[in-house]
Amino acid sequence: MPDGYFGGVKSLADVVITGWGCVSPLGGDTATTWEALLRGESARGGITCIPVEGCRVTQGAEARLPELAGVSKREISRLSRASRLALPAARQAMADAGILDSTGRSLFPRLELSVSTTACGMEHGEKFLRDIWSNNARHLASKISRYPAHQQIGDLQQHLGFSGPSIIVSNACASGANAIGHAADLLRAGFADIVLAGGYEALCELVFCGFDSLQALDPDLCKPFDLYRRGLMLGEGAAFLVMETSAHAIKRGAKIKGRLAGYGHTTDTHHITQPDPTGAPLEGAIQCALRQAGLEPSSIGYLNAHGTATVFNDGAEAAAFARVFGKDLNGVRISSTKAAIGHTLGAAGTLEAVFALECLRSSDIPPQINTTQPIPELASCLAQPGDKLARPGVLSVNLGFGGSNAALVFTTP
Amino acid sequence: MKNPVSILSFGLSCPGGTSLEALKDSSIWPVEFVAEAGRRGIREVSRINLSAEPVNRWRMKLRLRRASPLSHHLIEAITQTLEARPDIDPARVGVVGAFFLGCLEYSVRFYKGLSSDGRRFASPILFPETVVNTPLSHVVAELGIGGPVYSQVGDTSCWVSALRTACLWIENGDINHVIVAGAEEFEPHLLDAFHSLRWFTKRHTLRVAEGAGAILIGRQTPSAIADITRIADGHTFRTRKQARTAGAECLADFDPSIPVIETATGWIAETASSLLISRQTIPVSHGPRREGFTASSAWNTILAARQGEHARVAVPHWGLSQNIAAVEISHE
Repeated sequence: MPDGYFGGVKSLADVVITGWGCVSPLGGDTATTWEALLRGESARGGITCIPVEGCRVTQGAEARLPELAGVSKREISRLSRASRLALPAARQAMADAGILDSTGRSLFPRLELSVSTTACGMEHGEKFLRDIWSNNARHLASKISRYPAHQQIGDLQQHLGFSGPSIIVSNACASGANAIGHAADLLRAGFADIVLAGGYEALCELVFCGFDSLQALDPDLCKPFDLYRRGLMLGEGAAFLVMETSAHAIKRGAKIKGRLAGYGHTTDTHHITQPDPTGAPLEGAIQCALRQAGLEPSSIGYLNAHGTATVFNDGAEAAAFARVFGKDLNGVRISSTKAAIGHTLGAAGTLEAVFALECLRSSDIPPQINTTQPIPELASCLAQPGDKLARPGVLSVNLGFGGSNAALVFTTP
Repeated sequence: MKNPVSILSFGLSCPGGTSLEALKDSSIWPVEFVAEAGRRGIREVSRINLSAEPVNRWRMKLRLRRASPLSHHLIEAITQTLEARPDIDPARVGVVGAFFLGCLEYSVRFYKGLSSDGRRFASPILFPETVVNTPLSHVVAELGIGGPVYSQVGDTSCWVSALRTACLWIENGDINHVIVAGAEEFEPHLLDAFHSLRWFTKRHTLRVAEGAGAILIGRQTPSAIADITRIADGHTFRTRKQARTAGAECLADFDPSIPVIETATGWIAETASSLLISRQTIPVSHGPRREGFTASSAWNTILAARQGEHARVAVPHWGLSQNIAAVEISHE
């Protein structure tokens, strides 16, 4: 296991979560999404929001954009699809934490943001390029200005009524977990008392075609940890958490709904798109998170795996889980919710963190769907319908292109 | 920030070369005339010749053969930073990269390919190189860097956000040394974007440049090149009018008696000039104004750290589209 540096020595005991919200292909809010997940539904369907004709695979998990109350049609027309997903998710989280006033604006005029994305407002960048190539010079500024990630930050700040420092992490598919971990780092260092942490990702042609070109998309169902898995299903969505120091939450009378007990992150230098098959770097991230949480592996009751359903990812994950949990592995329930909502890339870590928190809140565990012939290493621990959380901790892990690994440990208050 | 940090070493790659002298004088930088930029107000750019020494040393490295120019700029700057401190083990160093444009050249090439040849013929070789964190991934793999690694995006000011992340890791005791790097690559469509956004006008001419800069920071130590003693971040704006307020708020965080490094380019230069009218401003480079976004932020930080005239200086990082931030660099 890598020693030393990441995952820090300072305790996360004081980092609490007071609200969360999400938009996913299964629903426009947390409750709808969670109920559908527990029922074992999948959002797989034909992609209509971006052009995919000619790709090997044309199916995925597309989200229905929620209504944006209080935002004019003209303003909505100016928002990128990414902002259309991020805004309602952030608003839900802030409302859940009780930090919105009666007009829907933040009670904290300066609110630190820790956000993740990989493709930002890419559809506008694509439109810009297509227009340039076809000599159409109309409205170029409005297209290119909506592309960069900091414009979605501006949209969040403008529509939810706050300003302040922001970080946009782009560590590929581990970014969401990194954004949450970074928010915890800010709180434990005393750089902030309250942070809005989240991630968003909208489907776009460039990324869809990219994964299609790698032949990483399963033409049939996405089957994480199945012997016959053939690849992932792309999805889109957004999720946000309100994170605070416990002192801050108590002082303002907020209900503490969960704790982020541990965060670990490592970089795997094995290959640009494939994880180390031994799972050692992921194991390092998980061990760091557990150490910071002060928990033994046997305290983990549910593990929301990255589980992309690619041959290399799931194999490396299974190896890492076996090394971390050893004989305790059979007592852990594991599922990858990507079979239901798709791989939401920069938003994946944040959506899966929301599912971890919902699991802690309800004791329900989302079942592993689509997997009919599980790999032997995990055959006895993939979550089944009706499984209940029987241990105090929930672990969520993510891996990304470029070797980013991140692990988050959540516990009840 | 809670505690000051020290700048322990630095590295850079700019169109003029890899030395501090080359960075100081942009009049000696090669100039390329972008033929496609016929209708645009700005046509001159300064680029890095990746086949020239010393930056060509990365071309035959297995992992970097197909990598974007951005990866090459970044690895050169970070390597110099590490080479200057052989006493520090790269395996125990973290890296935070700041990027405004990211892997633009390969992203445009990839999208052009699928648009012209058909989606089924999109290049599986190019796609991974379009991902924002790929350049930093190549760098840490090649140099054996073993600490935490973040790639952060934003406008020019995201360099300060990256610096803040590095300070945070040091503050929390996660790691003792962190490299903060800014890097950008040029792609001709940038000029279309800048032209349509009216960022650069005839009154605010400048030369778009590419390259990278990096600093290695650690806990405050007397043997350092300079210290970073204050960070102001999160002064956001959506309109040019709001930018003036954001800039004023940001500068108000700094002692009015300390000089401010001239760093503004493009449309915000006028705003900056009016806000700095009562302050002492100092140039740190000669020649035409150059804009390399996060690379410029790194370069300006390096130049401010290496200037010997003033005990303390403020270095503003004027984001052109969302945020204004600044850092104070001290030799006291």
